[in-house]
Amino acid sequence: MAHGGGYFKTTYASDLALVDTRLRRTALAALIVALLVLPRLTSPFVLDLVAQTALAAVGALALNLLTGLAGQISLGHAGFIAAGAFTTAVLVEHRLPSPLLALPAAALVGAVLGVVVGIPALRLKGLYLALGTLALHHVVLYACGEFQNHWGANTGVSIPPPRLGGWVLKGTTAWYYTLIAVAALVVALSVNLQRSRAGRAWMAIRDREIAAESVGIDVARYKVLAFVWSSALTAVAGALFAYQRAFVSVEAFGFFLAIEYIAMITIGGLGSALGAVLGAAFVTLLPYGIDAVVAGLRVPGGAEYYLFPLKFGAFGLLMAAFLIFEPQGLVGIWRRARNWLSLWPLRYRPLRPAS
Amino acid sequence: MTQVLATTVVVASLYALLAAGYVLVYRATRVLNLAQGDMMTLGGYFLFLLTTAAPGSPALSITTAAALAAAAGFFIYHLLMRPMAGHPIFAAVLVTVTLGILLRAAIVLVYTDRIRHPLPLLGLANPPRRLPGGAVVSTFDLLTVGVAAALFLALFAFLRLSPLGIQMRAAGEKALLAAQRGINFQLLFALSWALAGFAGALAGILYANNVRLDPSLGVLGLKAFAVALVGGLDSLGGVIPGALIVAAIEVLSVRYGDPLLADVSPFLCLLAMLLVRPWGLFGTKEELERV
Amino acid sequence: MTSVLELENLEVVYHHVATAIQGVSLRVPPRSIVALLGTNGAGKTTTLRAISGFLGADDAQIVGGRVVFLDEAVTGRPPHTLARRGLVLVPERDKVFETLTVRENLRAIVPGRRADRGAARPPVTLDQVFHYFPVLAERRRQLAGYLSGGERQMLALATALLCRPRVLLVDELSLGLAPLVVESLMTMVARLRDDLGLAVLLVEQNAGAALAIANYGYVLEHGRIVYDGSADRLLAHEDVREFYLGVGRSTGRKRYTDVKQYRRRRRWF
Repeated sequence: MAHGGGYFKTTYASDLALVDTRLRRTALAALIVALLVLPRLTSPFVLDLVAQTALAAVGALALNLLTGLAGQISLGHAGFIAAGAFTTAVLVEHRLPSPLLALPAAALVGAVLGVVVGIPALRLKGLYLALGTLALHHVVLYACGEFQNHWGANTGVSIPPPRLGGWVLKGTTAWYYTLIAVAALVVALSVNLQRSRAGRAWMAIRDREIAAESVGIDVARYKVLAFVWSSALTAVAGALFAYQRAFVSVEAFGFFLAIEYIAMITIGGLGSALGAVLGAAFVTLLPYGIDAVVAGLRVPGGAEYYLFPLKFGAFGLLMAAFLIFEPQGLVGIWRRARNWLSLWPLRYRPLRPAS
Repeated sequence: MTQVLATTVVVASLYALLAAGYVLVYRATRVLNLAQGDMMTLGGYFLFLLTTAAPGSPALSITTAAALAAAAGFFIYHLLMRPMAGHPIFAAVLVTVTLGILLRAAIVLVYTDRIRHPLPLLGLANPPRRLPGGAVVSTFDLLTVGVAAALFLALFAFLRLSPLGIQMRAAGEKALLAAQRGINFQLLFALSWALAGFAGALAGILYANNVRLDPSLGVLGLKAFAVALVGGLDSLGGVIPGALIVAAIEVLSVRYGDPLLADVSPFLCLLAMLLVRPWGLFGTKEELERV
Repeated sequence: MTSVLELENLEVVYHHVATAIQGVSLRVPPRSIVALLGTNGAGKTTTLRAISGFLGADDAQIVGGRVVFLDEAVTGRPPHTLARRGLVLVPERDKVFETLTVRENLRAIVPGRRADRGAARPPVTLDQVFHYFPVLAERRRQLAGYLSGGERQMLALATALLCRPRVLLVDELSLGLAPLVVESLMTMVARLRDDLGLAVLLVEQNAGAALAIANYGYVLEHGRIVYDGSADRLLAHEDVREFYLGVGRSTGRKRYTDVKQYRRRRRWF
């Protein structure tokens, strides 16, 4: 690849490359090596945390596509996850537990659901869209609840570990590698979608729908497309949830799950794939962080009871803090830090207002 | 038949109390307060707090609990919602969601999620009463209907007739013009939140005495916003028909259908309304474009 | 006092980079109408917004100069504080509460205190308002959103009057109104000056209508005051006549490039 001092691209290849500067390539290589080698360096507990973060990131990236990129506010994310998980459950109940069938089936169910939600959503904007998706979430959960009762498993359906040919996916390390790989794929997909024609259309629709329509973007088609992509990916994440937890129950998919995902993309930073990943890490690791702090403070026994509302409350507090003080999220902080570092010791001074 | 009618009116009254909170806050600040249900729970727990602090004086406990909830609404506006002034409305709505989380966490922290019954602690009773026509309702059911009716009358009088109420409507329509005419709209917005807290507390107090008190009462709030939307988010008058419709459908589906369906039926009403007439029965169409 | 409202070298910048107005100085004496003339984009509305404390929404900042109201610097104070002290703006758009009736619009106003810092403010009651604007009394119960343009403007003036203003800032009174309506509104403003002793800063594109009632005028071009003088002087000035009054020169058409520049007044501080 030709250089241009790092600021100018001199070949098409370098312009299209996802990772352009030498520093970024090195950083990416280092990250890949670190992720591959991690199982040798840490305990299964940490591996499980990273795996959970990766799975959450898939869901967050999917939601970011819909809400951050295309500007369609959705509060029904948990419904799509439930749809994917319950598709897996249905297939398991019908003695078809193979992931080769379940994952595409989940994607298909998600896509269909995306069309079902997306078409009426064309009439709604903003707050009304959010409320519509919330209502739909309740309807989907109702359907899943009916299924759960119908199959007589009142507490839930258990899912056997996924089997590919002769190999069974079991154990923390195997799940870790699988989920990291899936997350990496979805990150690449997400970044590429953002740079594609669809991505640009979505961003145009998000920023100024009327202007987008007047330059010839088929707003209806792209809005439905956003729902379809997002819900298909989310349903796949839901299917993976089902396999990883080995258990599917409608109680796990309440409104709070949707809030967690919204928190991930807002705390991380709306509209950015990096933000979705950072937000997913933040929200997933927060409860464990609080556990660690509480353990470190050596709070007297019996206080474990207070941990649940404490974690709940801390989550709410942090989410509110980010919304009020840092609307651009973790990505905003990262960008400011990066700009400060790259400009140092120079600083841009804005115009000072008259006192 | 009369029982169905009576139950519908009772359920509708409770929903109307909650939906009034949604509409008041929305009319003034254009924000949907998704924590309204949790503010109802807060009111119920304020009552519980006062039954232990001032046992045996129900009138004092109830009025103080409602007043505390109103004050809480006032401060919530200044602390959480006012800083969100320049931000997109959806971000402000998310902040109300976090408010709900914080309220619930605080309540569970202090009171655990045990189910409480403040009624006996207040020294009151809730005997069933027979209505003409054969329907049976509890005393607090009747009180709920009465309180809802009284609150709505008071709110209508306030908003239509008193200068402060007119100013609140003016500030809700165009805050800047209100400021240019000397109206302190921040104070009026805080007042709308205080009224929402008050209405929610009334609902919470009545429900806590009638049924039970536990931290998960907030789900009723979610059903109530379906009512607010069906009636029209910016129409206080629309709350009444909206509440009656949603309550009727819910009661009928409990009686003749599946109880699980009853939980979902307000959302089905909501979806139907959004598809057919998103601005609700009596809302203004322009509202749709504003957001 | 020499002037109710005075601007000293006001400078406003949008988005940190675009200067909207620069070195704008003007004076509004008591009991007078001062016209601020200029074409679209000259900076008239920006000036009014800067005075009435309402710039923040557009990422605009006052970066120089000050606004003096009743001998007190009030630069950047928020709108409702200024309104209560008697600095009242009648905006160009969004001037009435459309979902309220005419009567409710009037009842919503917070009347200012009767006297402030020694000087009495014009007393204005609802009856006086109906006396000046009888059509509002007829349409009391009608929603303001359904009023005609002229009636809306009258309601806007009426609500501004109820704030007991010492100085009234009027943005584009004539916009979108028929000539007869404009004339009657302008006559009304002149009457308010005479009866109530109001000071008025009249921002107008319709120079003829404004100068008909004004005592003094300023011409704003590209964010700077390029000429000022009494109304008679402005009406007689060649370039004002050509560009703002549409009254052609007797020597035939001129090209834009042949235009004589205004004598620039410089303010030295």
